[in-house]
Amino acid sequence: MGLAAKDRIRAKLKGDETTVRLLLAHPMHTGRGKNEAGELIPAEYIQDIRCWRNDDEVLTIKCGTATARNPYFSFQLVGGQLGDTITIRWVDNIGAKGTAETMVR
Amino acid sequence: MADKSFEQRRTILKGAISASTLALVAASGLLLPQRVLAHWPTNAFNAKTVEDALMALLGHAEVADDSVVQFKVGSPPSYAVNGASVPIEIQSTLKDIERIAILVEKNPNPLAMSLDFTPAVKLPFKSMIKIAEDSLVIAVISAGGKLYKTSRMVEVDIGGCA
Repeated sequence: MGLAAKDRIRAKLKGDETTVRLLLAHPMHTGRGKNEAGELIPAEYIQDIRCWRNDDEVLTIKCGTATARNPYFSFQLVGGQLGDTITIRWVDNIGAKGTAETMVR
Repeated sequence: MADKSFEQRRTILKGAISASTLALVAASGLLLPQRVLAHWPTNAFNAKTVEDALMALLGHAEVADDSVVQFKVGSPPSYAVNGASVPIEIQSTLKDIERIAILVEKNPNPLAMSLDFTPAVKLPFKSMIKIAEDSLVIAVISAGGKLYKTSRMVEVDIGGCA
């Protein structure tokens, strides 16, 4: 736990594109898995991830149950400058929310 | 006489008011669930087949295979030891991408991810998905009103949809 249980985000400017890498800390239970006692673990997975650059919404990721545990995403943004703020917000199926923010380096 | 017509008018008015209130309540009650659904396409994610999922998500399931979409699954490609986290990478020369859907044919619910793009976003897009058993993994890109598809067969050692 500790560090592993935190959402992490990095944004790096290279040439004229910004690469965003995102690692969320989430168990992503599908609702089909079982625990040690053989009981079904209720579904708990991220459904909606939104990404902003400064004040503009740039990307929406909608996830089903087939997104891996501790979801990882990487994508590029056109242009960008050092110091841009990249913000991520996520919501899961039971209403838990998370947010992560970083500056483009 | 004058009294009577006054009474009648009152009842008519009353009726009209209650009817309009009812209509309002009904309308709001009917609209609410739809607005909630629009937030996350439940139908698409709960669909049991690739066709149903595409139909619910994009409105039509007719897609053409196209080489403008490059798609890598697994590492090394086309093979994954652990189906619980299989790396994928989508690359394409297409412009004006509106949406990308990633589907795993043999999963209980095939639709794994749906990405809504804006012009500010560029490929490649990388992520990790779960794959239950040896299956076709399909990427569908919606760009300029057309759908482009590509697929890869992936073998997994340990199924990953638990």
